[in-house]
Amino acid sequence: MTHLKMMNKIFIAFISLCFSSHIIGQNITVSGVVKDLISGESLPGVTVLEKNTYNGVFTDVNGNYTITTSSTSPVILFSFIGYTKQEIAIESVSQTESKVVDVSLKLDVAGLEEAVVMGYGNQDRSKISGSVATIGTKEITSLPVLRTEQAIQGRTSGVQVSQNSGQPGSTQSIRIRGTGSLNNSEPLFVVDGIPSFGIDYLNASDIESITVLKDAASAAIYGARGGNGVILVTTKKGKKSQKAQIKYDSYYGMQEPSKYMSLLNAEEYAILMNESRSAAGYAPYSDLLSPETLGEGTHWQKEIFERAPIMNHAFNFTSGTESSSTAVGGSYFVQDGIIGGEKSQFERYTFRVSSTQDGTDRFRMGQNINFTNLSRNALGENNEFATPVVRALNMDPVTPATRPDGTYAYSNFIDSDIANPANQIANTFDNWTTNRFVGSAFAEYDILHNLSYKSTFSADLSLGSQKVFMPTFDLGIGSNDPNRPAYEWRETNVLIQSENKYTNWQWENLVSYDQDLKNGDKLGIIAGYSALFNEYSNLVGVRDSLSSNDPDQAFLNNSINSAEQAPQSSGGINQSAFLSTFIRTNYEIGDQWSLSGTVRRDGSSKFGENNRYGIFPSFSAAFNFTELPWVIEKDWIEFIKLRGSWGRNGNADGIGSFDYTSIVYNGLNYTFGTDQQIVNGAGPVNTSNPDLKWETVEQTNVGLDVDLFQGKLNMVCDYFVKNTNDMLAVVPVPGVVGFNPSATNVASAKNSGIELALNYKNFDNPMSYSFGGNISFIKNEVTGLGEGGQPISSGNVFGAGDFVSYTEIGMPIAYFYGYETGGIFQTNEEADANISQPNAQAGDVIFVDQNLDGTIDGDDKVMIGNPHPDFTYAMNCEVKYKGFDLSVFLQGSQGNDIYNGVFRYDLNTTNLPISALERWTGEGSTNEYPRISHTDPNQNNRVSDRFVEDGSYFRIKNMQLGYTLNNTTSQKVGASNVRVYISAQNLLTITKYSGLDPEIGSRGTLEIAIDRGFYPSPRIFMGGVNVTF
Amino acid sequence: MKQIITYSSIIFAVIISLVSCKKDFLDINPLVGSTEANFYQNEDDALSATIACYNNLQQEVTPLQGLGGLAPHFRWYFGDVVSDDTDKGGSGDGDEPDLLKFESFQGTSDSKLLLAEWQTAYKGIAYCNIALENIPGIAMDSDTKDMLLGEIRFIRAYWYFNLTTMFGGVPLIDGLLAPSEYQQVKSTAEETWAFIEADLSQAMLGLPKRSERPLSETGRANWGAAASLLLKSYVYQEKWSEAMEVADDIYNSGEYFLDLNYANIFSSLGENGSGSVWEIQYMSGSGGNWGNQLEGTFTNVFQRARGQFGGYGFNIPTQNFVDEFEEGDPRLGASLYQVGDLMGDRGPFTLEATGMPHLYYCKKYFNTAAEELDALGDPNPNGLTNDRVIRYADVLLLRAEAAYHTGATGIALEMVNEVRSRARGGNLDILPDVTAGGPYLLEAIYHERRVELGLEGHRFFDIVRQNRGQQILGDEGFISGTHELFPIPLAEISLSGGLLIQNPGY
Repeated sequence: MTHLKMMNKIFIAFISLCFSSHIIGQNITVSGVVKDLISGESLPGVTVLEKNTYNGVFTDVNGNYTITTSSTSPVILFSFIGYTKQEIAIESVSQTESKVVDVSLKLDVAGLEEAVVMGYGNQDRSKISGSVATIGTKEITSLPVLRTEQAIQGRTSGVQVSQNSGQPGSTQSIRIRGTGSLNNSEPLFVVDGIPSFGIDYLNASDIESITVLKDAASAAIYGARGGNGVILVTTKKGKKSQKAQIKYDSYYGMQEPSKYMSLLNAEEYAILMNESRSAAGYAPYSDLLSPETLGEGTHWQKEIFERAPIMNHAFNFTSGTESSSTAVGGSYFVQDGIIGGEKSQFERYTFRVSSTQDGTDRFRMGQNINFTNLSRNALGENNEFATPVVRALNMDPVTPATRPDGTYAYSNFIDSDIANPANQIANTFDNWTTNRFVGSAFAEYDILHNLSYKSTFSADLSLGSQKVFMPTFDLGIGSNDPNRPAYEWRETNVLIQSENKYTNWQWENLVSYDQDLKNGDKLGIIAGYSALFNEYSNLVGVRDSLSSNDPDQAFLNNSINSAEQAPQSSGGINQSAFLSTFIRTNYEIGDQWSLSGTVRRDGSSKFGENNRYGIFPSFSAAFNFTELPWVIEKDWIEFIKLRGSWGRNGNADGIGSFDYTSIVYNGLNYTFGTDQQIVNGAGPVNTSNPDLKWETVEQTNVGLDVDLFQGKLNMVCDYFVKNTNDMLAVVPVPGVVGFNPSATNVASAKNSGIELALNYKNFDNPMSYSFGGNISFIKNEVTGLGEGGQPISSGNVFGAGDFVSYTEIGMPIAYFYGYETGGIFQTNEEADANISQPNAQAGDVIFVDQNLDGTIDGDDKVMIGNPHPDFTYAMNCEVKYKGFDLSVFLQGSQGNDIYNGVFRYDLNTTNLPISALERWTGEGSTNEYPRISHTDPNQNNRVSDRFVEDGSYFRIKNMQLGYTLNNTTSQKVGASNVRVYISAQNLLTITKYSGLDPEIGSRGTLEIAIDRGFYPSPRIFMGGVNVTF
Repeated sequence: MKQIITYSSIIFAVIISLVSCKKDFLDINPLVGSTEANFYQNEDDALSATIACYNNLQQEVTPLQGLGGLAPHFRWYFGDVVSDDTDKGGSGDGDEPDLLKFESFQGTSDSKLLLAEWQTAYKGIAYCNIALENIPGIAMDSDTKDMLLGEIRFIRAYWYFNLTTMFGGVPLIDGLLAPSEYQQVKSTAEETWAFIEADLSQAMLGLPKRSERPLSETGRANWGAAASLLLKSYVYQEKWSEAMEVADDIYNSGEYFLDLNYANIFSSLGENGSGSVWEIQYMSGSGGNWGNQLEGTFTNVFQRARGQFGGYGFNIPTQNFVDEFEEGDPRLGASLYQVGDLMGDRGPFTLEATGMPHLYYCKKYFNTAAEELDALGDPNPNGLTNDRVIRYADVLLLRAEAAYHTGATGIALEMVNEVRSRARGGNLDILPDVTAGGPYLLEAIYHERRVELGLEGHRFFDIVRQNRGQQILGDEGFISGTHELFPIPLAEISLSGGLLIQNPGY
C-alpha cells in the first residue's frame, strides 16, 4: 500500500530528528505578575516566552509566571490575545539570579496585533499583505444562525452568501469575489487546517473564528483548490493555564412565512377561466358558470405554510493546565419547515473533543474528534414540476384543500404536474441521515527554537442513508371510479433506499522556520507536503409493493414481491487523490515592509495525463506608513497600510474523477426476444481529454487599511481584478461528432470589483456603541468560450418552454436572454399589419423584431435582465448601555434581476397572479398584460422581459435586544455571566419582487436567480440565553 | 545556521523521498466501466458494442448537447403532426410551441426539435462508426462478425434515411472524427442515398433471414428489414425498377405474412408479429426516468388523453383523417378512439374526463394501466409499446406503387387488394377490391397507405415524396420548393463554421 510505505518513511525521519542536541547554557529565573494596564486586573493565560528559544510558560489564574531562561540577558516576550505585545530585555549581573518583572499589557483597540488565522499559520493583522477578512466569535454568535455558513453573510465585503432554498438544512451558495467559473464557484472550506466538504457538521457555537482568504496571494497556499477563495474555520480550543469554563447557549423561536403572493381568488379565477375558454372557442367549465357564488375559495399558500419551531442548545467546556488544554462541545439543533413542518425538518447533534498536550518543551501533540448526526426531511423544492410551492401557487382556488370528511380534495380543472400540495406533503417521506466523523491528530516537534516540524493526519468519514418512501393513497376514490383523476392516487407503494459512504483522509507534513535577522528583519518560511485521498461509494435499492403503508416499516425486505422481482439496484465507487508540495516565505523589513511569496505544486488523479501537475505562485507586499514622520505628526492616524498582491491559483473541485478519460459504460441496453430480455450494450459516452486540468485563476489585488482616532474608526478598501483562464466548458461541437464533448479548458471570465468596509467603535462607559458597514461592487464578464465562442444556453423554464439563461463573450455569466416586448396589440388591424407575428391578434404581446427581418426568431433575442447585483451591502449597529445591548443587522442587494418562472403558463388552467386582472380586454384597456385565452398562437408566454423582475432587496436580517445580568445576580445562580435576549430574523424585507423571497441563490452556476417556486426563508422570532459558568 | 541547514536537509530529503512514490498514488483507474483500451477484445464486447447501437434507437427524448435540456423527437412529430393526419394537441398552444410552428409551416431553424433530430441521428451514427471500426479487428466467429456488422450497417442506414428525408443531403460520416475534422460539409441528396444503398446492400449480405433467427433474437435486424429499408430508399428516389426488384425479393422470400387481424398488430401480443419487418423494441418496468429513458417509450404517455387518463394528449387525429376511411373500415376503430369509446382499463372517453375539446385520440400506441404495473410510483412511466417502423403492409403498398410506376398494374392491384382483404377481416360488405386503373389506381394506393399506415409516422414524408405537398398542405402554409425539407438546425450551421448550407427557403 502506497500510504503505508510513506508512513514508514516519515516514522524513520521522525526518529532521526529526535537525536538533536540540547543547547545548554547559563540561566536565570524571571518571575512576576501580568496585569491589564487600565483595569489593573491580573491576566491569566498570557504567553511568556523567551525570545529566540522554545522556552515559554503561561501566567496562572492570578497572572503570576515564573520562567527559567537559557541566557543571562534574555528578551522576554509577553503576548495575549487582544493586547499589544510587549518585549522586555533583561540585563542580569550574574547567573542564577532571580529577577522580578511585573508587566502591564495594553488593550489593542485597533486589533493590529490580532493574530489572524492564515493558511498554515497565523499572522498579525498589521503585517498581512493580502486581502483577508476575519469574522470573530462575537459576530458568529451574535446572530443565531441556522446554517453555519450564514455566519459569514454580510459580515465582510466581497463575499456573497445566498441560500439555495429556505428549507431547513439547505445548502448556501457562497461566491467570493463573483462567479469565477462556469462550473464550481464554491470556495474551499478548511476546518482547523483540514479541507472539508462543507461545514454543516459544525454548530456555530463550536467556531472560534472564520477567516476568508479573498485574494489569490492569500489563497495561493491552497494552490489548485484555492481559486474560488478559501474559508478557514477555526474551532474553539481550550487555552493553557485556563480556568475551567462552561458555556451554555440556547434559543427557542417560532418561524412564520413573511409573505404570500397575491393571486386570484376563486371568483376572479372563474371569471378569467370562462373568459379564457370562450376566447379559444371552448365551452366553459360547468362548475365555474357562476363565479359570484365561489367567493374567496382556497388560499393554497395558507394551506401549506405554517408556524414552525426552531431550537438550539449548545454547551462548550474549555480548560487548560500548564501543559495541556481541552475543549469539549456538544449541541442539539432542530428546525421545522414553514412548509410541511416535520416533513421539512433539519435536526443536528454535534459532539466534539479537542485537546493538546505538551510532551516536553519541544514536543506537542493534539487531537480533534467530531461526531455529527444530521437528519433531514426534505420536500421537493425550486423546480416547477411537482413541488409544494409551485403547486400552491398554481392550484386553482376553487378546489378545497379537504372535503367535509377530512380527506384531501382534487382539482377538476388542472391535471398533470399541478395537484393538491397538502396531500403531496402528507405523502412525502424523504429522509437523509448522516453520521459523520471528522478527526485529526498532530504531533509537533521543535527541532530548534525557531525550526519546528508538524505532522497531521486527518480523516473524514461520512455515512449517509437516504430513504424515500412513496405510500399508496387514493383520496378516497375507488380505483373503479371513472372520474378518478390521473395524478391523485398511487396504487403501489415504492421504497428507495440508498447508503452512501464518503471516506477522505489527508496526511500533511509541515516545517516552519522563523529567524530574526541581525539587521532587524524577520524571515519566516513554511514548507509542507500533503497527500489527500477521497473515496465515495454508494448502494441503492428500490422495491415496490411493501406489505405496509407505514413509513416506519418501510424496508426493502418488507416487499411482498419476491427478490427476483426487485426492480432496481445500483451502486458504484469513485476515488481520487491529491498530492501537493508547497512553500511560503514571509520577509519583514523593519516595521515597514512585509513581503510574502508562495509556491505550491499540486498533482491530482483527476487531471489528464498530460497535465497531472500544476504550479501556483504568488507574491504580495505591504507597506506600513504608520512610522513615517508625516504620519506620526498626525495624531488622528493610528495606522495606515497599503497592500498589493498577485497570485495564480487553480479551481479543480468541479472536475469529476474520470472526466479526462473516455469510459466505456455498460447499460446502453436493448431488449430482445419474445420474452423481452434486456441485453447489455456498452460504449463510450464522452470524448476523452488527456489535457484536462484545473481552471487557472489569476488575481491582482490592491488594498488600503486605515485606522483612525485611536483605532476607533477602521477602514478597509480593496480593488481587485480576477481573471479565470483555462475555464472548463463543455463547448458544443458539431452534432456530426456524435459523442458528447467533454469539458475542455477553453473559456475565460473576468471579475473585477471594489470593496469597502467601515467600522466605528466606541467603548466608553457607560454607553458603548459600534456601527459599521460594507459594500461590494463586482462586475462579471465572460471573456472567452473557446474557439468559435459558441454561447451556452441554460435554465430551461417549462412555463415558457425555452431557455432563460445565456452565457456569451462580453456579457455576465448566465444573464437573462429572451424577447423584448413592445406592449400589446390594441386592434386586429394593428396585429395584422405586423408581418413578423402572423398569428397575433388584438390583445397579444408585441415582440420586438430586433433585426427587422420580418420574423420573430432566435435572432431577435436580447439581454432582458442581469442576475448579478450591481452591488451588495450590509450594515450593523450595536449599542450597549449598562446591562442592555441592542443590535441591528441589515443586508441588501441592488440591481439584480430575477426571472419569475413560478407560473405554469403552459397548462392554461392554473391560477394566476393578481396582475392578471389587469389583462387586455379591449382597445385601450392596457398595454401591459395580454388577453387571457386557452389558445396562445402568438406564444405570449415565451421567454421575455415580461417575466423579469427587479430582484433588489433590503432586509432587516436581524434585530436583537439583550440584557446581561449584573455579577451579583448571576453569581446567585452560580454563573459568572448570564445574558438573555430576544431576537427577530428577516424582520422586514423591502423589495419590488412579487415572488415569495427575493434572496434566491443559484441552481448550478449557469442558473442564477430563476425562481421556480423557491422555498422562502422564514421570519423568526426567538428568545435565548447565554450563560457562562 | 549550520544546524538549520542540516535539519532542513533531512526534512526535505524525507519529503522528496515521499514524493518519489507519487506516481502510483495519483494513478487511479475507474472501477466502474472500462477504458476504451480494455474494450473491443472479444465476441462479447462485439455484441455489447452492437447492442449499444440498438440502444440509441430507443432515444426519443434527447438531452441536447451543449444545452441544459431535453427535446423529444418522435417519428410522429414530423411524420403525423406536420401532415394533415393529426394536430399537435398537448395542454395548449404553449405546450411544445415549436411543433405548432412546424405544423403551420412557420418553423424556424433555431428550434430545439430540429437539433434533437440531428443530434440523435449523428449520435446513433457515431456509435455505429466506432463499432464498425473496432469489431473487424476482434478475433471471433466470422459469420457472427458479418451478422453484427450487417446489423450495425442497417442501423447506420436507418439514421441516414431519417436524416435525408428530413434535411435532404447531409454530411456523411463513416468513421470517428478527429477534432480537425469536426466541421463537415453536406453531401448531396444523391450521395446520401447512395451511401444508404451501399450500407443496406452490404448489410443484406451478412444478415440472416428472420426465419433463421432463434426466438431469443426476435427484434434484431434481419435481411428483410435491410431489404425493406432499401425498397423504401428506392421508392423515395423514384427508382421504380430497382424498387420493384428488391420488393419482389422480399415478397418472394416468404418471410412475412399480414397478421389476420389488423387490430391485433397494435396490441402487446402483436409485437414482432408475422407482418412485422422492423420494430424498435420497448418494454415497461423502467419506471419513468425522465432523461434516463432505459427500455421504455414515451409515445404511450405523450399520446394518451389528458385529464384523468394521465397522458399529455398529443397527436390529435383530424376530422380530415377520420373522413378518409371508407364506410365500415374496421381500421378506423383500431387507429383511434372516439368519444364514448372505452380507453382500455382507463375508463370511457368523455370530454369531461379529458378536460380538452378534442374528439379523437390515437390508439395504436395506447397501453393499458395494467401493462405498466411496474411504474414505481411514477404517474408517467415509460411505455412498453414497440414502434412499428416498417410493417409488411408498408412493403406491399410500396411494391404496389413501384409496380404501378413500372407498368405492372396487375401486381399493383394485387398488392392493394391483399392489404384490403386483410383489413376486411372476412366481412365482405366492406372495403371492396380495387379495380381502378391509371391515375385512379395511384389514388387508390395513396388512399390505402393513409388508412392502413395512419398515425405511424409516415404521412408527411409520403406526401412529400409523392410531390403532393402543395396540393394537400398548401392551405396549412406548405410552399413547394421549401417545405419538402426542414431547415438545418441553426446551431449546427454556426458550429460548422458556415460549411453547412441552409436548405432553400429558410
